[in-house]
Amino acid sequence: MARVGVFVCFCGANIADFVDVPTVVEEAKKIREVKFAIDYKYMCSDPGQQMIRDAIVQHRLTSIVVAACSPRMHEKTFRKALSDAGMNPYLLEVANIREHSSWVHQKDKKAATDKAGDLVRMAVAKSIANEQLHEISVPVTKRALVIGGGIAGIQAALDIADARIPVTLVERSPSIGGRMAQLDETFPTLDCSQCILTPKMVDVASHPYIELIPYSEVIELDGFVGNYKAKIRKKASYVNFKSCTGCGACWQKCPVKVPNEYNMGIDKRKAIYTPFPQAVPNKPVIDAEHCTYLLKGKCGICAKVCEKGSIDYTMQDEIIEREIGAVVVATGYGMWDAKPYEEYGVGRYKDIINSLEFERMVSSNGPTGGVPMRPSDGKIPKTVVFIKCVGSRDKAKGIEFCSKICCMYTAKHAILLHHKVHDSRAYIFYMDIRAAGKGYEEFVNRAQVETGAVYLRGRVSKIYQKGDKLMVRGEDAQIGQEVEVEADLVVLATAVIPDKGNPALARLLGISYDKYGYLSEAHPKLRPVETAKAGIFLAGCTQAPKDIPETVAQASACAAKVCGLFAGDTMKKDPMVSTVSREFCSGCQNCVKVCPYQAIVTEDIPLGHGSKEMRTVAKINEGVCQGCGSCVAICRSMAINLAGFTDPQIINEIVAI
Amino acid sequence: MITLSYQGKNTFLEAVNKKSGADVLECYQCGKCVSTCPVSNFMDFPPREIMQMIKLGLKEETQMANSMWFCLTCSACSGRCPREIDIPAVMEAVRHIAIEENYHSDNKQVKNIRKFHEIFLDMIKRYGRNYELRMMAEFNIRTRNLFKDMHLAPKALLKGKIPLGVKSMKSAKAIRKMYEMADKLEKQNK
Repeated sequence: MARVGVFVCFCGANIADFVDVPTVVEEAKKIREVKFAIDYKYMCSDPGQQMIRDAIVQHRLTSIVVAACSPRMHEKTFRKALSDAGMNPYLLEVANIREHSSWVHQKDKKAATDKAGDLVRMAVAKSIANEQLHEISVPVTKRALVIGGGIAGIQAALDIADARIPVTLVERSPSIGGRMAQLDETFPTLDCSQCILTPKMVDVASHPYIELIPYSEVIELDGFVGNYKAKIRKKASYVNFKSCTGCGACWQKCPVKVPNEYNMGIDKRKAIYTPFPQAVPNKPVIDAEHCTYLLKGKCGICAKVCEKGSIDYTMQDEIIEREIGAVVVATGYGMWDAKPYEEYGVGRYKDIINSLEFERMVSSNGPTGGVPMRPSDGKIPKTVVFIKCVGSRDKAKGIEFCSKICCMYTAKHAILLHHKVHDSRAYIFYMDIRAAGKGYEEFVNRAQVETGAVYLRGRVSKIYQKGDKLMVRGEDAQIGQEVEVEADLVVLATAVIPDKGNPALARLLGISYDKYGYLSEAHPKLRPVETAKAGIFLAGCTQAPKDIPETVAQASACAAKVCGLFAGDTMKKDPMVSTVSREFCSGCQNCVKVCPYQAIVTEDIPLGHGSKEMRTVAKINEGVCQGCGSCVAICRSMAINLAGFTDPQIINEIVAI
Repeated sequence: MITLSYQGKNTFLEAVNKKSGADVLECYQCGKCVSTCPVSNFMDFPPREIMQMIKLGLKEETQMANSMWFCLTCSACSGRCPREIDIPAVMEAVRHIAIEENYHSDNKQVKNIRKFHEIFLDMIKRYGRNYELRMMAEFNIRTRNLFKDMHLAPKALLKGKIPLGVKSMKSAKAIRKMYEMADKLEKQNK
């Protein structure tokens, strides 16, 4: 005879305001199997847990029902209380009377109380059929996959590798470095981006525990936490990296000119190229979309000038497979295209550029040698208008979020402009100055006081051309008057948007993303680097806009999570997995088709005892099974049961209401 | 509509900063000065807006405002300014520039205030201290408002609040000398 204990929680006022908790306790006491029922203000607190532990011993309980919040929140807490009292933790049932009753039925207290009573009755009925379950241990492949070689990926890879865990770093472009490699100086200290980044890039290339696979993409990920299998497509570079010395003869002679992505298309690169001089690896690749030889079969100059004979036009894409235990996603960000701002004349006026283009111009290794120039006539601009929140915080343009970094980099641009063109003046149209960070407010003040950058509060309403000037019209809300600035150059701080490939990558990895395309974390506050899928972590702007210090911190957090995951040789796993009754299995294999985790295979067993004839039945890999229950639902002979959710348990629940 | 075109240096801002010893660029437009100021309600541009106009280099607009003439130099604003700007000094600098460069507002109140200042300085120059009765009389004559506040005169006189004459001062000579030196310096600077 089962002896059930029922513990009903007030959850402060969360439950007690709308559900009459004592009534629920009284209802529970009416059930025959319930030997003990009590309520408490906070069941999850230590005194609350002590009540459970004491009752288990005193009343010789055989299963426990806690009526409180969602099991997502505190199931683990209560399970631990059970095992502390010497009871199998899986004899616990949680009746969710907060999310499922008090929060959603705030207008009708009686109905909420009745429903809470029903939920408790169901949980008690289910718990009677509960069985003792034991955690499953699965082996762990101690290798991490880092997707993206920007500062986030670099930092995560280095931190994981420093813990002597092998890392595979996959980068889409020919070189690691990402957006940070494009920056000139970084706020708030104005230290040169290259100077702090390139040593890290070199470390990645030379680290014994890091395998760097540039110019490649992840195309498939199978398996589960600790036991993933990744397929990586290494794009054909048409250059043999082993023999290539990176001398540069090939790209000097190449006749094809293509807009240079590294310099935001301000200048041209060749069809065979390294993205920038400090690239890692510093070996060129051939851009197959533009190479004349690969397109038309003519030219071949690079092969002729290469002394090492490293050019190989017959090279094919290569598929690399790696077994890994955890994934860090760090795919970075892109700049929003400001075309929808027709009132600014984006696309019509050449002298309107975005911030990353300005960044490349003022960069000492940039296309203009560090001097800002008007794209229209190459003149050095004297009056530069910076417009913040272009796209960001604009509901009409579909981007409601704040891009977070624009306030700071615009202040930086004002300072850099002053450094490069001493007699220039920056006018900055802003909505708010968001400078929350160590040394950030001081940095903005520096821009205002030292360089005399004029901050005008208001959104620009329109930009039009007058002679060779651009007239920028907006309101200065500080004096309540319309102002018009005669500008030589206009720089738009366009919104930071997630990488275009994020939705496709999210589907490939089996993780979720938000309406903007940012990958979603498991919990916005308490689990900011994990995803809902175990063993997949997020670093940097792939999750939300971030500055460099925050990105590095998140990347290191990812590394800590990965190291924690790999701390033992095996991993503990919940025992809620499916089992097949071979007697009933008809071998239809419908379950194999519906399993989203490829956890079901088939095996041949003898038809009867000692029989030589064989029949096919399903077999479940406990390590892979995530307990989703799809196979249980599809099985027509009811041969599959999910531990913790067996047929008797479910039927008991249904009978109870 | 204000048009901001390239002017190289913001000379107006630099002149104000130099004269006042304050740095107008420090202002971050919080508006604490405005809510502190006892007379900001009477100003056409409260102190915060004056700061922004100086930043933008709007010299004409700033000089034509009545704000700096209404400023009482009570220093309540600078006492509370989170950016430690000496706002009364900035107002004074703007006043000085208005006088030096002959900006004249049509506003009658501004005209009266300027006359008041002139008469006051004249009194100090003559007597070394303020001769109140004469000052009042001169102000009423020059502003063509002879009987202004006249109803208060009998009571004030009887109570001895307004002395009929002016007591001689030992340092009157020294003060006159200061005026002469100031004149000399001004000519030199020009």
